[in-house]
Amino acid sequence: MKEIAIYGKGGIGKSTLSANISAALSMYGKKILQIGCDPKHDSTRLLMSGKRITTVLDYIKCSSPLDYKASDILFHGFNQIGCIEAGGPKPGVGCAGRGIITAFELLDKFHIKDNYDIVLYDVLGDVVCGGFAVPIRREYADTIFLVTSGEYMSIYAANNILRGIQNYDGDKCRVAGILYNCRNVKHEDQRIHAFASAVNLPIFAKIPRDDTFARAEKKNSTVTELDNNSTLSRVFSRIAEKILAEPILYPACPLTDEELEDVILNEKTGTPSVSVSAAAVQAVSETDTDRSPVSQPQYDSGYLSKNVLRDEPLHGCAFNGAMTMSIHLQDVVILAHSPKSCTYLSYQSISSSGRRRLFERGTLLPSSLSPNIISTDMSEDDMVFGGMEKLTDTVKAILKQTPKPRAIVIISSCPAGIIGDDIDMAKALAKPDIPVITVKTDGNLSGDYLQGMLMCYTELAKQIIDLDVPPASDTVNIVFEKVVAKNTESNFEIIRGYLDKMGIRVNCRFLCNTYYDALKGFCSASLNLLAYKDYTGKILKDFFTKEYGSVFYEDPFPVGFMETVNWLRGIGKFFKKEEAAEKIISAGRDDYEKRIAAVKKILKGKKLMVITYNHQLDWILRTALDAGMEIAKLCILNFSQDEGFSSRLPEIADVPLEEDYDRQKRIGDIQYYRPDILLSNYESSAGCENCIADTIPMCPDIGFFSGLILAERWAGLFNMNLEGAWKNDQSLFNKYYPR
Amino acid sequence: MISPYLTSITPDSFSGLIFGFEGIKNTMVLLNGPTGCKFYHSATVDNQTLRQMEFDPLNYPELWYFGQPRVPCTYLDKRDYVYGSKDKLTEAIRFIESNMNFDLMVIVNSPGAALIGDDIRDIAMDEIQSTPVLTVETPGYSRDIWDGYSAACCQILRELLPAGPRPANTGTRKKVNILGMSIFHKYYQGDCQELTRLLGLCGIDVSCILCCECTFEEIRNMKNADLNIVVDSVYGLEAARLLEEEYQMPYIVCPGFPVGFAAAESLICQVCSRFDLDPAAFVTESEKSRARAYIYLSRLNSLTGLPKGAKFAVHGTCSQCYGYASFFICYFGMTADSISVLDLPKDNSRPSPHYEALCRLLEETSMEDSLKKDILSTDAELVFADGNIIAKLKARHLDFSGIEISMPTLGYTDVIPKTHLGLSGGLMLCEQIINGLMFR
Repeated sequence: MKEIAIYGKGGIGKSTLSANISAALSMYGKKILQIGCDPKHDSTRLLMSGKRITTVLDYIKCSSPLDYKASDILFHGFNQIGCIEAGGPKPGVGCAGRGIITAFELLDKFHIKDNYDIVLYDVLGDVVCGGFAVPIRREYADTIFLVTSGEYMSIYAANNILRGIQNYDGDKCRVAGILYNCRNVKHEDQRIHAFASAVNLPIFAKIPRDDTFARAEKKNSTVTELDNNSTLSRVFSRIAEKILAEPILYPACPLTDEELEDVILNEKTGTPSVSVSAAAVQAVSETDTDRSPVSQPQYDSGYLSKNVLRDEPLHGCAFNGAMTMSIHLQDVVILAHSPKSCTYLSYQSISSSGRRRLFERGTLLPSSLSPNIISTDMSEDDMVFGGMEKLTDTVKAILKQTPKPRAIVIISSCPAGIIGDDIDMAKALAKPDIPVITVKTDGNLSGDYLQGMLMCYTELAKQIIDLDVPPASDTVNIVFEKVVAKNTESNFEIIRGYLDKMGIRVNCRFLCNTYYDALKGFCSASLNLLAYKDYTGKILKDFFTKEYGSVFYEDPFPVGFMETVNWLRGIGKFFKKEEAAEKIISAGRDDYEKRIAAVKKILKGKKLMVITYNHQLDWILRTALDAGMEIAKLCILNFSQDEGFSSRLPEIADVPLEEDYDRQKRIGDIQYYRPDILLSNYESSAGCENCIADTIPMCPDIGFFSGLILAERWAGLFNMNLEGAWKNDQSLFNKYYPR
Repeated sequence: MISPYLTSITPDSFSGLIFGFEGIKNTMVLLNGPTGCKFYHSATVDNQTLRQMEFDPLNYPELWYFGQPRVPCTYLDKRDYVYGSKDKLTEAIRFIESNMNFDLMVIVNSPGAALIGDDIRDIAMDEIQSTPVLTVETPGYSRDIWDGYSAACCQILRELLPAGPRPANTGTRKKVNILGMSIFHKYYQGDCQELTRLLGLCGIDVSCILCCECTFEEIRNMKNADLNIVVDSVYGLEAARLLEEEYQMPYIVCPGFPVGFAAAESLICQVCSRFDLDPAAFVTESEKSRARAYIYLSRLNSLTGLPKGAKFAVHGTCSQCYGYASFFICYFGMTADSISVLDLPKDNSRPSPHYEALCRLLEETSMEDSLKKDILSTDAELVFADGNIIAKLKARHLDFSGIEISMPTLGYTDVIPKTHLGLSGGLMLCEQIINGLMFR
């Protein structure tokens, strides 16, 4: 597939030329896709018989990712040419450059280009910012044309475009030449030749000023469609032939402003002109022609967070999610391509749990307390001129430092994404022993915190895991521990204690306090254990199963008595360690039964109501039932990180359950159900005068006694019947601390 | 594990702006940006200036509060970066205006939103006519936090102070404003109380402590004061200069954060001298404080020979470093192992007077090498820094006592307001140092 970008000043006629070139190329039997990258979205109008088509950006604005269909943005016009318009905001608002980037991301996810022989990008006049430079990034256009007339501003714009190309390419060759669109201005030929000579480019074609354009325009068609034998049609036909003949490509050698003025306005000549390649035009035989309609591309959604998938307000940003996860590769450097504030906000969310843990319990969590984070500290200048130079310099500086990191992971913020910095380009700086890995979150442009976690998980896995590692017997990987929870390490120690007793070793904790090489050797473990089986846990399981054929144990880390019994039996069975598992269970059961009998004396018959973000509650409900309690109502709040309440307890089949619970109903429900205990994630006394309000942890402790410990607390509260006189002092706070 | 690459990652001007505006009571700071930029700021201001009765997310609606009591936001996403934020901003303003009570609204663009180029002032003015509205189009990228805070203070003074000349103070008591204190200063409540107490002993009232839990009304009356006192120069000097330029208000700048007895004596006596007031009541109080410190230090010294010669390290702004270091060196006789200055002079620019004073102090005591020593390489017995630095050093299993002087905290909740400033601050530090030293 060939990808051609046609750049030129606004109003120079590049949309008309692009449409006519597409039409001419299609006459050679090629499947053509034209993508208009101008916010005024009229690039494909002549190919679509004057019909305006839905732009990609309008589509994104009004549709949910779940409903995305390629046919909604891909249209077919003259000679089955595929037509897409990126679109953009109204003039004077928003950021059109960012719009181009967003539109291209969607097109990539559809793999739309896969069905075409040639893709032609018609791009707004000048390389005005990183967004408009997207088509000239190396992964897109392999051939670039500059459209210009002899007017100074048009040539000035062409020269600017060469500057943009040079920024990306250095001295690589991608420019095919100049499409000289005559305006019949004074000394026009002279100027174009002088410019072409000065920038060392051929004049690929001269398109005369011709009334045929006007006639075709009036009919909303290309000149090819209007009259395939006209003189002008033959011009485009020749252009098509030359494109198909693989023209020689040249590096971008822009002039300085002073040189340009000298060459054009003062008519000084530059370096000797390059002659246009004389490569023979190869006729395209009719047998090459394939007019079958293109198949409809499928949307490759990747792995999407619930917020992104459901098109909900985003909670947090992907940059932060990716930063938080990536620091758990303890021997790599995390390079945040961002202003200082973005890095700082992430650093705070990473370090806060570690600081608190250190303060409260004297525990040291190295990943949290001392993450290997560095920031490019993007400045105002970088926002205007682009931040790639600073990124490159920072990567080079890290590579020189000792001790050397095992790898560099670069994560991009939203300012970097908005200005169009392409962090993937920094991969070229990698050393044989220090790979450069990128997670292109672009702040919240790719989604919420959870989306960033998912991107980090999947990108690090894809870029680091080695498929060719030998298997290691009796080993497991642990997948998706919640790194910001207070009990992550204590829960891990409980699991490791169980595994040790069964002679099973932990290979890699993905991603929690681990190392580059442990992740590289991920595939050596024979079984994978999910710590949590919520929305993200399920996605990660799917990812590893599909991409690596990984085997997962069905249930997550066990929370509560029965869950722990079943989990231990399952793991014991998989590794043929049943006897060891039963020993652990037997010890736990004796203890559980004694303690539940004690609390039952107090809790029997008490009514429990739960309002929570937690979507898995069996661990606490089972204990409540074992203690003889009655479940009054389950109210499940919408939670950005999970969905779909589920339970395996037949006893709660008749319990009133309300998902997406409305907070306004709380007081009414309390009055109606009259619970003895109201459990929620944050304690509130509102409406709860006659019951005990207590909290339920978002990430409960695992093991036999998770629910029992809470039940023992309630029993204690009932026994003591204490509330605390401080609760009466709210009026004093209002009196002495006016807000 | 490899070495950390950065000494400290500090907040920038974006946070400085939000903390500055949030320092005015009953002000609604609306963040025009994604929730990712909101959560930290909301949590921090709520923690520093508790105003809501309960922390139940159900009390703070998803839109626009996202379960947090402060700093609502417009939750921008990728579409808004393309099409502009007008719709969401308008909707948020309408909701807040209909449902919340506030004296002043401030709309601050996030770093990403600033790149869209929306005319947020125009959008806000279309919606709110009866309440003052300030807007910040560009929060600054990677500039220092005090730049943002200082910009917030100056914008407030420019846009909110009533026009007209400064009225003469006709009351019997002199009035001062305090500049350069923010709610991001770790012990700001205790600091404000202490400075107010010490000035009060000399018959001087504090009119307004700008952007540090002040009221809208106090700001509007700032011009009535006789003098502005800049406590922390990087945070407050710009505002003092503006008030001098616009309203001919005189100001004095503390040579460093007024930490310790001598610094408090110097500041209060300087202010009294300007007003021709007798500082006798303050001097008595200072003597009492010194006397109380003396007996404990004397006992420590008898048993251990300390605190003389004990090595310390400080990490903070130049003003902080000078204030703490001079107290530790001159009063306790301790030695500086590492003085880690956040706002070092930039290349080719003239050092600030504070930096020069710090250098002089360290040179006179032959401790100038401490300025070159990385705080993360210190082997000091006492480390005065933020919670992150203390935690990083702890993670290296170093044997020291960490004493927090700035945010973020390790997690201790201060119910009783504490201070490191003035006489109470001198005693507090004395207590922390005695308890932090190892009895050998």
